[in-house]
Amino acid sequence: MPTTNAHLAWERYCKDELTRILPLLVNHGYTLETEQPHIGGERYLMQAVTTTSGRKLILLGMRRKDGLRVVIKATSDPAGMRELAHERVCRSTLHQLHFAYDTFHSPEELLVMQHGSTYVSIQKYIAQEKAFLERPTEEQFNFALRSLKAQESAHATTHAHLKEIRRAFESYSAARYLSTHASLVANITAALPNATALHETLTQAIKVFTDGRERVAQYCGFLTHTDFVPHNFRIHDTTIYLLDFSSLRFGNKYEGWARFMNFMTLYNPPLEQALLKYVTHNRSQEEVEVLTLMRVYRLTEILWYYTRTLTQTSGNLQELNRARVDLWHTLLTHTMQGTALPETTRQDYIAKRDKLRSEEEKRRQVGLH
Amino acid sequence: MKVVIATALFPPDIAEPAPYTKTLARRLAGEHEVTVVLYGRLPESVPAVRYVCVDKRRALPFRLIAYTRALLHEARHADVLHVENGSSVELPVLVVSLISRTPFVLHIGDTRAHTQDSPLTRLLARLVTFRAASVVEELPHARPEILPFAPYPTRELEKYEHSWQAHIQTLTSAYKHAHN
Repeated sequence: MPTTNAHLAWERYCKDELTRILPLLVNHGYTLETEQPHIGGERYLMQAVTTTSGRKLILLGMRRKDGLRVVIKATSDPAGMRELAHERVCRSTLHQLHFAYDTFHSPEELLVMQHGSTYVSIQKYIAQEKAFLERPTEEQFNFALRSLKAQESAHATTHAHLKEIRRAFESYSAARYLSTHASLVANITAALPNATALHETLTQAIKVFTDGRERVAQYCGFLTHTDFVPHNFRIHDTTIYLLDFSSLRFGNKYEGWARFMNFMTLYNPPLEQALLKYVTHNRSQEEVEVLTLMRVYRLTEILWYYTRTLTQTSGNLQELNRARVDLWHTLLTHTMQGTALPETTRQDYIAKRDKLRSEEEKRRQVGLH
Repeated sequence: MKVVIATALFPPDIAEPAPYTKTLARRLAGEHEVTVVLYGRLPESVPAVRYVCVDKRRALPFRLIAYTRALLHEARHADVLHVENGSSVELPVLVVSLISRTPFVLHIGDTRAHTQDSPLTRLLARLVTFRAASVVEELPHARPEILPFAPYPTRELEKYEHSWQAHIQTLTSAYKHAHN
């Protein structure tokens, strides 16, 4: 049951949007599935946090003439429309970059339409034999490494490269990373004025990140997926399909690595350790250092993400989000010390999460990663 | 000897010959005084190697001029130039070799650049080949990756090491021949 204004607003948005979209889909020969896991659970919260990227629905459906399963992205929110249009530009530009040595596969686009103020994009659903995290860790490692290398293979360095990417992609320099990091820290500190231990850790994080400014600059100009986690890609046979092209930008080479490894610290620590070993054994000392710096950056970001949700939640979810702030704070401390997150901390968090998560969110999580 | 390596790419660049050039600089630095003239801003460091960087974010004509000036300055104090092929280096090298007369060894590290089909770049490559004291086409093995779930590549690393030792010998005799 909705308990906050943000939740109620999201439910209202979904209802209105579905009323608009459904007749359009039927006219074009598509239907919606009864179960729509991607609009339930904590999805409303994610939306509330990322409002700058626009509101949109991600729905599962079917093409009536042949029963083909499809993914429908739909919105009537102007920012959401811009985001979906931008994603299309990113996808097509990426396939044309002459300085990229490898490319990503994307699901086949079946239909794009704009009807009045409603924008709909329909893509083929990529079936997976199993979820990423259900695969053996070695297999996960191989897929992850291949995908991370594909990102790195586009390195915009010359005047002509920069001109080529300007139209489609956002570009992050070291100065921009530094100023964003400082803003994130300021936001968290203002939102949690009594969290003294967290303030101290964040002050240290600012120092570490500022001292590493040149290292961050050294590895900028690479294509990187800022939300490279299993729910944003799917694997069919041996092909990796990227689902979210709007999170691609040119920035630090290790930003995608950092996001992925921080995520795996919670979901599969042996994979996180394997990736760390890979970088240590095969790449330069400077790269090992910049990986740590980018992990610090991304941990600060996730700390702000959950800090921000505290005012938009109540009850169990608010308690869970407090536990999340504590977890990522602990990991930030360990990352700066160069130590691994203790297994007991991880297990305690997982037990708490499973106790506090709503049933709807548990259903949304099934097979997601 | 004072060796100047002229290259377009150097790590953090990822495309060949960037990894090759870094390994070359590191291995030569034990025996020679090494300077690398490169397009870039913040190259990965190698102990005892000096860098001269030309910002590649400038428009093409400006960076070519800047590279030529930097290379000319370094060439005047060098015994030999080691030149990695590719038109953005070959054009400055051609100009510098005419002015400074410092001998150079051309290494074909980027085979894609060597087989490109633009008539102008082909002509440039031919002219540079003609003026080179010697041309080395040999490429040592790429360093095998150490993967966490695979056996340690002992044999491959040995092969890699041997191929580099042989390659450094080839280059050293080419440098000596060019210098004399």
